[in-house]
Amino acid sequence: MKRLENLPTLRIHPEKTLRFEYRKKKLKGLSGDTLASALYANGIRIFSRSLKYHRPRGLYSLDGESSNTCMQVNGIPNVCTETTLLADGMQLEPQNISGSPEWDMKGFMDNLDWAMPAGFYYRSMHKPARIWPIALKQVRKAAGLGKISPDFQMPGRYDEIYPTADVCVIGGGPAGMSAALAAAEQGLRVILLEIRPWLGGFFDYRTADNGNGTSLAQSARQMAQQVEQNASVRVFTHTTVVGVYNNNLVTAFQKGRDGDSFEERYLEIRATSVVVASGCIERPLLFDNNERPGVMQIGCAQRLAHTYGLLPGKQAVFSIGHDLGLEAAVDLSDLGLAVACVADIREDGQDPVLLAALKERDIPFLRGWVATRAQGSKTLNKVTLATKTGTLTKEFACDLLVASAGMTPLTGPLSLAQAKLAYEPYTGFFIPKQLPDKVQVAGRMLGLNSPASIEASGQLAGVIAAADCGKSVEGRLQEARAQLNQLPGPDQGCKLVTAPVQGRKTFICFDEDTTIKNVKQALEMGFDATELIKRFTAAGTGPGQAGIPGHNLPLFVAQYHGDTQATAMPTTMRAPLVGTFIATYAGSNHDMCKRTPVHESQKNAGGIIRRIGVWERARYFSEDLSCREEIENVRQNVGLLDASTLGKFRLWGPDALKALQRVYVSDMSKIADGKVRYSAMCNDDGCIIDDGVVVKKAENDYYFTTSTARAGATVEWLRYHTRYDGWRFHMVNLTDAFGVINMAGPNARKVLGKVTDADVSDAAFPYAGYREFMIQDTIPVRSMRLGFVGELSFELHVPSSYMQTLWDILLDAGKAFGIRHFGLEAQNVLRMEKAHLIIGSESEQRTTLHDVGLGFLWDRNKSDAKTVGAVALKQTENQEDRLKLVGFKMEDPSRTPKDGSLIVDSRIRGHVCIARHSFTLKEPVGLALVDAPLAAEGTRLQIYEDECNGQHLHATVVPTPFYDPEGKQLKM
Amino acid sequence: MLRKSKRLWGDQAALKSSYDAVIIGGGLHGLAAAYFLARDHGIKNVAVIEKRFLGFGGSGRNTAIVRANQRTQQNVPLYKEALELWPILTKELDYNLMFFNCGNLNLMHSEAAMNTARMNVATAQFHGVESHLIDAKQCKELVPALNISKDITYPIFGAMYHPPGGILRHDAIVWGLAKGAAKHGVHLHQQTEVTGIGVENGKIVSVETDKGRIKTPRVLNAAGGYSAALSYQMLGIKLPISVLTIQAMVTQPLKPILDHVVSSGTYHAYANQTLKGEIATGAHMDAWPNYTTQTTAYYIKHQAEALSEMLPCLRGVKFMRHWGGLADMTPDMAPIMDGNNLIEGYYMDCGWGYFGFKSCAATGKYMAQFISSGNCPEMLKPFNLSRFEQNRLMGETAALVNYTPDN
Repeated sequence: MKRLENLPTLRIHPEKTLRFEYRKKKLKGLSGDTLASALYANGIRIFSRSLKYHRPRGLYSLDGESSNTCMQVNGIPNVCTETTLLADGMQLEPQNISGSPEWDMKGFMDNLDWAMPAGFYYRSMHKPARIWPIALKQVRKAAGLGKISPDFQMPGRYDEIYPTADVCVIGGGPAGMSAALAAAEQGLRVILLEIRPWLGGFFDYRTADNGNGTSLAQSARQMAQQVEQNASVRVFTHTTVVGVYNNNLVTAFQKGRDGDSFEERYLEIRATSVVVASGCIERPLLFDNNERPGVMQIGCAQRLAHTYGLLPGKQAVFSIGHDLGLEAAVDLSDLGLAVACVADIREDGQDPVLLAALKERDIPFLRGWVATRAQGSKTLNKVTLATKTGTLTKEFACDLLVASAGMTPLTGPLSLAQAKLAYEPYTGFFIPKQLPDKVQVAGRMLGLNSPASIEASGQLAGVIAAADCGKSVEGRLQEARAQLNQLPGPDQGCKLVTAPVQGRKTFICFDEDTTIKNVKQALEMGFDATELIKRFTAAGTGPGQAGIPGHNLPLFVAQYHGDTQATAMPTTMRAPLVGTFIATYAGSNHDMCKRTPVHESQKNAGGIIRRIGVWERARYFSEDLSCREEIENVRQNVGLLDASTLGKFRLWGPDALKALQRVYVSDMSKIADGKVRYSAMCNDDGCIIDDGVVVKKAENDYYFTTSTARAGATVEWLRYHTRYDGWRFHMVNLTDAFGVINMAGPNARKVLGKVTDADVSDAAFPYAGYREFMIQDTIPVRSMRLGFVGELSFELHVPSSYMQTLWDILLDAGKAFGIRHFGLEAQNVLRMEKAHLIIGSESEQRTTLHDVGLGFLWDRNKSDAKTVGAVALKQTENQEDRLKLVGFKMEDPSRTPKDGSLIVDSRIRGHVCIARHSFTLKEPVGLALVDAPLAAEGTRLQIYEDECNGQHLHATVVPTPFYDPEGKQLKM
Repeated sequence: MLRKSKRLWGDQAALKSSYDAVIIGGGLHGLAAAYFLARDHGIKNVAVIEKRFLGFGGSGRNTAIVRANQRTQQNVPLYKEALELWPILTKELDYNLMFFNCGNLNLMHSEAAMNTARMNVATAQFHGVESHLIDAKQCKELVPALNISKDITYPIFGAMYHPPGGILRHDAIVWGLAKGAAKHGVHLHQQTEVTGIGVENGKIVSVETDKGRIKTPRVLNAAGGYSAALSYQMLGIKLPISVLTIQAMVTQPLKPILDHVVSSGTYHAYANQTLKGEIATGAHMDAWPNYTTQTTAYYIKHQAEALSEMLPCLRGVKFMRHWGGLADMTPDMAPIMDGNNLIEGYYMDCGWGYFGFKSCAATGKYMAQFISSGNCPEMLKPFNLSRFEQNRLMGETAALVNYTPDN
């Protein structure tokens, strides 16, 4: 197709040709083309086939309101060709076709619409039941638009930014630009978001006079220049707003262009005030075959010509309900389009200047007429026009029907900002009567059509937004208001809902092939609310995000109910307002995990790292996942474990002890100087949620540890449970500030003795003691003698910055004593042999302190009100039929049951929390939570493993700990 | 097809001044209870009172996943029965509920998680429900789009594979049950708000609505996310329920790519492909109690990040619609089904959180039995309210859950 030349409005660059492939055919387009305009330039009229009926579909609007023009581009499905700029080498494939877009083998489906009334799938395919699985496969195959391969990899980089602004303006048309400038004038930082690649909106492609002798296009370009040069306005073009959330959080994505470092980037903008100037799309005109290729909206036809230099057809008929249609008819006729007839739905109210212009060009004008039927089997060749009652008809041969019922405001951002829409009878718009706090609205979406009014409304909104930001703008506000009041107000909207048709082939939703006949069927079946009709007929649930049916559906429902005030509301708008790639939302997708200070050295020592919660930790130190060598080395020599992930806290202040008493079950006033105290925290149900040790560093100054998983929740837990007391205490989470090394094994003291001058003998530093001393006169350590793994052990807490050095010192000093790393799994086995529990492994949400055998920690003499969980601990103490934690040994020692196996008789009686072959004891042992009646020593347990085919294993309840019951190893 | 379509749930009846039972809430649970009351127990003079429209709440907002691989023996049999009911109900209601028996994969991302999953698998197998623990390679065979490489945040170790599960069309069940209930004489009153419940001498006597007073001896509270507020405001009965928003979203429709429900507790994400071709995905609840049903930017971004790792091909697919619903969570993630004790004739079917969809049919059946006889069926006994007073949580969740303001 030859392009129109020398139009001042063009956005293409004829000097730069781009090559692309469509259905493997090599085609050419121009730089600045969208995929849609390039295809149109190459004579492509049928872009796809429709979902259900395989009807031919083509260009209708240019802003992606339906999925008709979506294609598979470079392997990516559902790419909107209307809004995607052409790039060299792109490969395009049409979607939902069987054969070719022109010759589709499933085209016959269009004649089967009688078999597919609204909701037909709920009423068919299930009788007899055996056909459903077969039908289901066909349903799945028929559904869906694009295809994606399971090994598809999205190329390119996806970025994210989080800018803030005083005022965020949505829409870079004349109103939005005016608002941005007016707000910037008040010294505010403004972000302006525009969906198209350039600013200008409805002005960009129009050559009509702006009232001052300049064309609208020209004045838009001037204003755009002003905006771009204004240092206070940050402009994002090709940027689609997709969400508006509480407190004016606006989300959007920007498409990268040549030279940008990203394909797309996600924007999350926090603004004090938001101006919505998103403008209008057109309300589709409803008549028979209203989506036949060759039928398009006013803006589509005009922009094809002015933006892309493509005359949309040869012989045209216009069926419109808005002055923009008259303007377009005059304009396109001047560019060489033969206009056979202009039918205006409105009886009156047309701009006399435009009517005169039509007359001047001898274009026949029909008042109160409307298109009732588009004809042509694949593309348009004839149009039937009729009076609104359908009594008189005329036919015109044509290849282009410009059809539009009027305007539809793009209220998506307002709806998402929780504005309640209401029907405004003059414009026929659903628009909020009341705006949310610090959200303003401007421009064409208010029903304005006069260019001066649109700009003035933008200025006013910009000034009000400045007031939202706390600027004192009294004078300017009055001025802006007065200016707008002098100018023409909103245009009366065209009220026609449907042309006089039966509606069998009148499509209210293109994406889902929903006809007005379908909507009637739904209404007759009792689906009276718009929301239900949407769900039942699927209208508006496709990729076009209700762009096509959004306005017409509630109007139609209201009309059906005989409701002139249109109380039927549009369906709820949902984010994203425009389909957004998962890649774009994901952005750069950092994995934010934590690593301990000795992560690298553990990894280099052969540590197998696992992600556990927020941490990466060494679970094994060899490929032998039973960890035999690690375990035996701890029992025989000495091992080193990185326990840095333990929660670590300092709690101090005059009321620190009270806070401890509140959350710990034990009497924390009894912590002796230089001793550690092991205790637990429970929730209000008496269920154990954490355990750890507490030391008293000084008067009213405590240091305590929590389990790794609980570290993040601990400060809030204490604050919450002391919230009414007004106690004075401070807390610092030292989890990341301190590293922890657990050095355990019979040789542990020998290693420690080599690196410190402090007396670490059992007499000077006994079991359960706490000491602070220096390692090699330099590194301050807090040391605790604990026994989690059941051996002589020193837990060394050290500032994170010293952690690596201390680690290296100990490894070096320990060489002679057989020191080795051990990981989490070895620790897991070692502590199991001692029957020391790990919260979450031997406890679960419902297990109380008593259930897991730690009831002895609870000091019942503390008053109930003081201790979280005490009431429940009292109540559950002697409750029957609770779970109990028990140790067990296997009848057949060659077989270790798998963790998570069940304890059963005729029903489930418990489960195996952990079971391992104990190298120390040379037989399998384990811990299980069982119903209390099964907890007695000597009870035979039946173990039911998954995939056991009814073959149970048998175990016997035995006393714990399994290893070193007297604790001699700890106290050496 | 030129004839007028028949009304699916009959002509709108006028609100009568007296019913044998009033069900508050026109969602799945309310409709199912009404259906079974009228069909099996001869109590046909029943009104379902719905403030908005049928299926407005959780019934129309969930992602319609069904399964019977719960953790405890109190739950599994109920969900198992529910799973077996779908084909039966399809036939009985003569309405295609679109049960897609695709099976569920619950991904595990550590050795410990595999062991935790084993308990669920063994529990299912013990009850005759098919469920298996499979390794990462087997996962990949079932779901070719899955990323089983080691270099993602949470590498996949395996999954709990539950073939009998799947998805349905949630709206179809709402409409099918409405159709069935209406056929048996139940009156469905939409756009009708319950404003009070009348109690005399410890017995239910009436329900007040904005359309008038109804005399009734029985009330079922099946108001979903609003049930706890209703119970407290109208009867002073405080339920241990926290209401949270839970969000979900769908992508644009695609040709078949996912043949199973894939979920991951660690990634806080699940995904399945609806029969329309959309990938429906969602997961965790908001961390704070609220009644708004508003969505958040954080959530959809989180979902994209998780899917980018689990199912990376979906990076080339677009999110299309994101919505929120309410989850009425109890402390142990199991519902409260109780009644006829605190107040005679007052029944509760609430606290269903985000899992009320899976069991709605079976629950309706047993609740109907409960309401008609006044005696709690064995199946529902473990779900009594008093378990919370006695600190006997059910154990449906192993891990500590934090959805109250105390954390």
